[in-house]
Amino acid sequence: MLRLWNAISCLLLASAAAASPAYSLSFENTAIVRTVDLGGSLVHVTTTFAVKALKEAASVYTITLPEDEIFNTSWLEVKVKGTHQPLTVTYNGAPVDSKSHNLDVSLEKPLAAGANINLVLETVQTHATWPWPQKAAQDEDQSLKYETSLFVLSPYSTSVQRTKLKSSSPRIISYTTPENVEAFTQENPVTKSGATVTYGPYNNVPSSTNQEFLQEHQQHVVLHYNYDYPVLEILKLKRAAEISHWGANLNIQDDIVLHNAGPELKGQFSRLQHQTQSFYGRGAPHVLPLFTVHLPPGIRNTYYIDQIGNVSTSHLRVAPSVARGLKNTQSSVMELKPRYPIMGGWNYTYTLGWDAPLGDSGSYDSKTGKYIVSVPVMTEVPGAVVNDAEISIILPEGATDVDYVAPFTALSNEISTHVTYLDTVGRPMVTFKYKNLTNKHAKPIYVSYRVPVFAHLRKPLAVSTVLLTLFTFAMVVRRVDLTIHKTPSKKM
Amino acid sequence: MSEYESVQALHHSLPPFQPLISVELLPYIALILLASTFVLAFYSSTIPKTTIPGKEVPLAVIASVLGGFGVVALFCTVGVYV
Repeated sequence: MLRLWNAISCLLLASAAAASPAYSLSFENTAIVRTVDLGGSLVHVTTTFAVKALKEAASVYTITLPEDEIFNTSWLEVKVKGTHQPLTVTYNGAPVDSKSHNLDVSLEKPLAAGANINLVLETVQTHATWPWPQKAAQDEDQSLKYETSLFVLSPYSTSVQRTKLKSSSPRIISYTTPENVEAFTQENPVTKSGATVTYGPYNNVPSSTNQEFLQEHQQHVVLHYNYDYPVLEILKLKRAAEISHWGANLNIQDDIVLHNAGPELKGQFSRLQHQTQSFYGRGAPHVLPLFTVHLPPGIRNTYYIDQIGNVSTSHLRVAPSVARGLKNTQSSVMELKPRYPIMGGWNYTYTLGWDAPLGDSGSYDSKTGKYIVSVPVMTEVPGAVVNDAEISIILPEGATDVDYVAPFTALSNEISTHVTYLDTVGRPMVTFKYKNLTNKHAKPIYVSYRVPVFAHLRKPLAVSTVLLTLFTFAMVVRRVDLTIHKTPSKKM
Repeated sequence: MSEYESVQALHHSLPPFQPLISVELLPYIALILLASTFVLAFYSSTIPKTTIPGKEVPLAVIASVLGGFGVVALFCTVGVYV
């Protein structure tokens, strides 16, 4: 139950879990198209509902997702097709015994009876694929399996629905052929064309969130496909962002444990075979020799180190610094090459950090005397999911009135004290903890705080006090007489 | 508009952060302040000893204040942004 609540609270924008009464059947789906973009650790599912309102002033549309799909979903957004503003989604409980959960989407304007609207549900699923076979030698292919339910559930009846599974490579090894779907289609229930496998079209699917439909027709389909890129997971990300007012600097440091979640390496790692493969350009798909990350523009003093020391096999091209808020800014490109190629099942731990001018991400509101700083939650490693993330924002010493707003609710927030160079009372540190972050979560957190003038002077005063102590000690020592005097000899 | 979007809009509309002392000047400030600290400390150590340190104490206070700011500027110059 706790896992379910974590999954849902992480992905909802408005987490008002009000238990409203059962939905009224005021809509009908004219068409549902679900497109699944298969990746390695991230699977991007886009479901388009073509909805027709049956009753007047229909404003709340219910989407039902099966339980196993919700467990894997870590980002969810519902929009009207063609617009950019996401709609408000609230959790509305689970129908009894159906192992599925209802999400209520509030439409901006209630629909008139007979009006049509297209809703697009975009989700990103993590940890939804698994390597099969589970072990692969250094020169073998990598193939993954993905399982999903055949029918898109909906409390409303659907005229036609289809599911398209798109792989990045046309080499699809196998896919399940569904059974017992004669009631919905007379033609082939599944077709493959290039890299896309289409289940459907299935006609006249009734309301599918009841036990009879689920037991009679719902089934799981498994797609076994070749995947030509390494499957990456970041097991732990620790990001520390330190704000300095004296140096006008924002230092961001990422401690990352990178894991190759592809098939485990079978046998020993042969450096000779690896060199031959890279020389001829025939690298195996599950081996990660290098990867590229995009860092903010205008950074300096970048360091890429691991436990042994500096890793020199990297290239950085810094983009010039731009003013805040400008769109389409170029980003600095850093190509990271770990000390060893990361084979299936291997881990690599490294630290990547940089300094950026505080003017690029910080602002000052002279009316309220508050500083606002934006810190991105993560830097995207292409195709990787972050299993555990801990983001700490370290504010200047003596900061008061600390307030923050995050783009999505964290599993936990806390404010603690962090002590570093030249600190006397310590700095406030705000820590956010997240699970299962994807590339859609790379948004900034905004922290606002005030720093009184005396707090700015605390550091120089601390150093001055120490120096004054030294001077006092020196003055005292100067006046202590330690010379040895001749004692006058006593005459008996 | 949610709270996040309003804070984001506010952040974009405000002027960027400006430090009290410009960062490009900090290396020179560090040099001057620390040099003065050294000179004053040296002078205060060569003043003839008297029981009440009449001249030494004010010199020591000035030297420590200059040294305090100089050390903070030095830290920022070498890249430890305190």
